[in-house]
Amino acid sequence: MGFIDTLSITASGLTAERVRLQAVASNLANARTTRGVDGGPYVRQLPLIESVGRDFGTELERNLAWAQVTEVANATDPFELVYDPSHPHADDQGYVKYPNVNILNEMVDMMTTARTYEANVNAVETTKQMAHVAISIGRG
Amino acid sequence: MSALLFDRLHSGLGVVLDLRASQQALTASNLANAYTPGFQARFIRFDTILADAVGATESQGMTRTDALHVGAPGDLPSAPPIEYVDPVPWSVDGNSVTPEREVIRMTENSIMFEATSTGLNRRLALLRFAASDGKAG
Repeated sequence: MGFIDTLSITASGLTAERVRLQAVASNLANARTTRGVDGGPYVRQLPLIESVGRDFGTELERNLAWAQVTEVANATDPFELVYDPSHPHADDQGYVKYPNVNILNEMVDMMTTARTYEANVNAVETTKQMAHVAISIGRG
Repeated sequence: MSALLFDRLHSGLGVVLDLRASQQALTASNLANAYTPGFQARFIRFDTILADAVGATESQGMTRTDALHVGAPGDLPSAPPIEYVDPVPWSVDGNSVTPEREVIRMTENSIMFEATSTGLNRRLALLRFAASDGKAG
């Protein structure tokens, strides 16, 4: 365990938050996309984050956890159905399926992601400062 | 180890620096997992460790030869007790990380790290002063 480990943990957090922001960007951009690659409406993307750690070493080392995006999954909540028979993508009953993206939820996700990213950047700065202090011990 | 040059205060400061660095790693881990479902925030409870060490009288000069031995009062723990934060009852995903609390803990921790290293620097300067016959200052 050292400051390098600490920095690598923070880096894993920054990566996880960046992926989360990418998902938000994709969801917002496609909030009204009625045709995706598979012919259906766009499906909300949901990054799954898990903590990964070591199961060996000291108690401290076993308690350190790296954040890892294991998968970007399709959200399973239902699509929004809008009655609009004139829409070219409407089904036989005249309903158009819009993506299961909730703009408000995405905005909240975006804000929490940005704040958490900032907190992690803050952690990098603090770790760096502590390492500098440690290096200069005994220089008088 | 010479008891005169590098006494308990000296090694104690080193242990505290280690503990502070460990706490920084735990905070980094907590912040990195701020949105990991089911992740419980971890931290080292410094107030009890330091109060135990400061409030106790001088160690009786006993050496711990087995990990299961009870430590003499005044000894700092070699392995820090790591505590977990329980999620609030209304937590949706079981995550108990509070980013603002972590940032505050991190700031406090880095200040204490600097303070401890300043203490260590002062002691080393004192030794240097003594070693140079009081000529360097």
